[in-house]
Amino acid sequence: MVRLRRNFLPYLFLAIPIIIYLVWVIGPMFYTFYLSLTNWDGLSSPQFIGFRNYERLFTDRVFFLSLTNNMKWLASFVTVPVVLGLALAMILNRAVPGEKFFKMSFYMPMVLAMVVSGLIWGWLYHPRGGLINSVLVGLGIVEKGPGWLSDRDLALWSIIIVAIWRQVGYVMVLYLAGLKSINPEYLEAAKIDGANDWQVFRKVLLPLLMPVSVIVLVISVIDSLRAFDLVSVMTRGGPANSSSVLANYMYIQAFNNYRMGYAASIAVILFLISLVFIFIYLWRVMQDELEY
Amino acid sequence: MYRKKMFIILAVVMLLSLILTACEPETIIETVVETVIETVEVEGETVEVIVEREVEVLKDKEILIYNSYASDPAPREADEEIVQMFMDKYPQYDVIHSTINHEDFKQAIRAYLTASAPPDVMTWFAGERARFFIDNDQIMDISDVWEGEGWVEDYPAGFKALSSVDGKQYFLPTSWYWWAVYYRVSVFEELGLEPPTTWDEFIEVCETLKENGKTPITIGTKYRWTTGAWFDYLNMRINGPEFHIDLMLGKESYEDERVLAVFDAWRELLDNDYFIEDAAAYTWSEALEPFITGEAGMYLMGDFIRDSLPTEIMDDLDFFRFPIMDPAVLIGEDAPTDGYFIAANSQNPEAAKAFLAYLGSVEVQTYNAEKLGRLPTHTGVDRSMFNAAQQKGLALIDGADYVAQFYDRDTRPEVADMGMNVFMEFWDDPGNIARLLEMLAELDAYRMEVFGAD
Repeated sequence: MVRLRRNFLPYLFLAIPIIIYLVWVIGPMFYTFYLSLTNWDGLSSPQFIGFRNYERLFTDRVFFLSLTNNMKWLASFVTVPVVLGLALAMILNRAVPGEKFFKMSFYMPMVLAMVVSGLIWGWLYHPRGGLINSVLVGLGIVEKGPGWLSDRDLALWSIIIVAIWRQVGYVMVLYLAGLKSINPEYLEAAKIDGANDWQVFRKVLLPLLMPVSVIVLVISVIDSLRAFDLVSVMTRGGPANSSSVLANYMYIQAFNNYRMGYAASIAVILFLISLVFIFIYLWRVMQDELEY
Repeated sequence: MYRKKMFIILAVVMLLSLILTACEPETIIETVVETVIETVEVEGETVEVIVEREVEVLKDKEILIYNSYASDPAPREADEEIVQMFMDKYPQYDVIHSTINHEDFKQAIRAYLTASAPPDVMTWFAGERARFFIDNDQIMDISDVWEGEGWVEDYPAGFKALSSVDGKQYFLPTSWYWWAVYYRVSVFEELGLEPPTTWDEFIEVCETLKENGKTPITIGTKYRWTTGAWFDYLNMRINGPEFHIDLMLGKESYEDERVLAVFDAWRELLDNDYFIEDAAAYTWSEALEPFITGEAGMYLMGDFIRDSLPTEIMDDLDFFRFPIMDPAVLIGEDAPTDGYFIAANSQNPEAAKAFLAYLGSVEVQTYNAEKLGRLPTHTGVDRSMFNAAQQKGLALIDGADYVAQFYDRDTRPEVADMGMNVFMEFWDDPGNIARLLEMLAELDAYRMEVFGAD
């Protein structure tokens, strides 16, 4: 009796999260696949139309524009915050005066909800009364500040800057944790062998930080693919779709235009792109687990 | 082990009590006249007598769910007040009132409607936007309320037609407002300007404002619907309201030369920098700021602009009819009508109808007209109490040959969305004719697909 219970109990406890996961995550996922093959306005029952949504997708200019924007986002995300975050981690890993304060300040943006960051930066970017333009005009650098969020060439980059501002602290913390786990004896040994600081960094620290770097990269990729909140709050993808990203375009198609099937097909494409990176991430995590 | 058990029991008890309190409905004491048969002994004989007695019974309040999009401060306050007035008057109902941000409400409505227990009463737009739900059997037939409340006689025929499909009424239109070009009286006076009535005069006013360092026209296009007003008016003034409505209903083509004429007029305004710079950075209400400070002269807006303006400048605010461009063309105006409906799957249709009857009453419409300055639909509302602005707005609409709702209300939402994208992209680069033609061709292909036209 006791043994039976012991065998049975773990499954019982597992059953609850598994059921929840099936109902709320796996189920809707498959339903989205199905929806992407239909024409559905959210009211009447979905009409099966095969791959028509996908055909349309590949001729949709806004879809490609959004995809390109996601790629721009991705490209900036796997470079700028990673380099900056690593640099900050290297600086703050030693006993700098006020080190705790700096760590906290850099991590602070991460604590704010995306929506709050978006709103605050929306005010900073305000073309007439915003802090940035007021300073630029006040210092006499420009006569009239640019419309950061209303200029088609600037809007996306203005948003990406906010996202980077937020991400740097996060990457820094990840690298700090990685640095703390490195045995200082390796560094001492390198020093004794006559390596200079750059060589220690390049040949000892960086390889040892490799597992962290992979995680940081994959997280950056996934974060850039699911970018939505900042765009939705700051520009809603405008002006004229110039700052639209896939998640935002999907949302507008689904809930503004009630083209659920079409939105679902965007979701599926986004999912497939993400899947590649998620697999890399999982593979990496599993490998690490096996090592220990 | 014992502690663990105690903990589990405690958890279960707490959970249960939570569920129970959630389910417990509010009650009221109601006096009911009850008929009972009593046996009385009269002169030794037992006789049955029917007696009527007043008894007090504890009755559950009927719950009514009401979702509203009145999320701007002033309408929201009025909305909450009305719900309270209803509950005070009819204590047997308990209204669960939720106010949802206007934009979010529009996005959530289909989810509300298809829920197994939808909100009973909801705010919505009269016309095409309601018609779509009626055609999909999502809105309850309320002809009996129209009949029972005498609305059939008390509401003007136009509003009745707006609420009817195949002779049955589905919608309750309660208030409407006009669109016009709002301007600051002091700014106009300072520069010796008169409200323009023709297009040439309008351009002249813009030019004078610009020369004097003012922004002639303010607008916020972060939410793109504000551009829809410009398209509506330019199209109605140049091509006439009939063409406009046919275009909205998918019967005319966006590739028509007449549509191009609209963009030509629009381009004139854009090329001359009459609109505020960086319009896309502002929401419609953020774009009010230069208007309030007097840096901007005019704003094409609905009368709800008043809800968001400080009281100090109310006396300095006036409006004029969107200038006439071609005197030979009939006058069309945008006058969107808002109202209420009952969800087809409403769980409490009786309570919902009682609430709707109240919302459509003279009492509530008078309250709204006084509090918000909207125009009521019920003919029983005393028009003499209207303020000067309401009188002027009423005259503006009375003088129109045709009344439209609004760009994104008159046509299907998905077409409107693509249309507004065209407006936005055109706005950004008005000189790019090739691109405009390409976009209009795309838009027209989509119009045909959505409306199933040839």
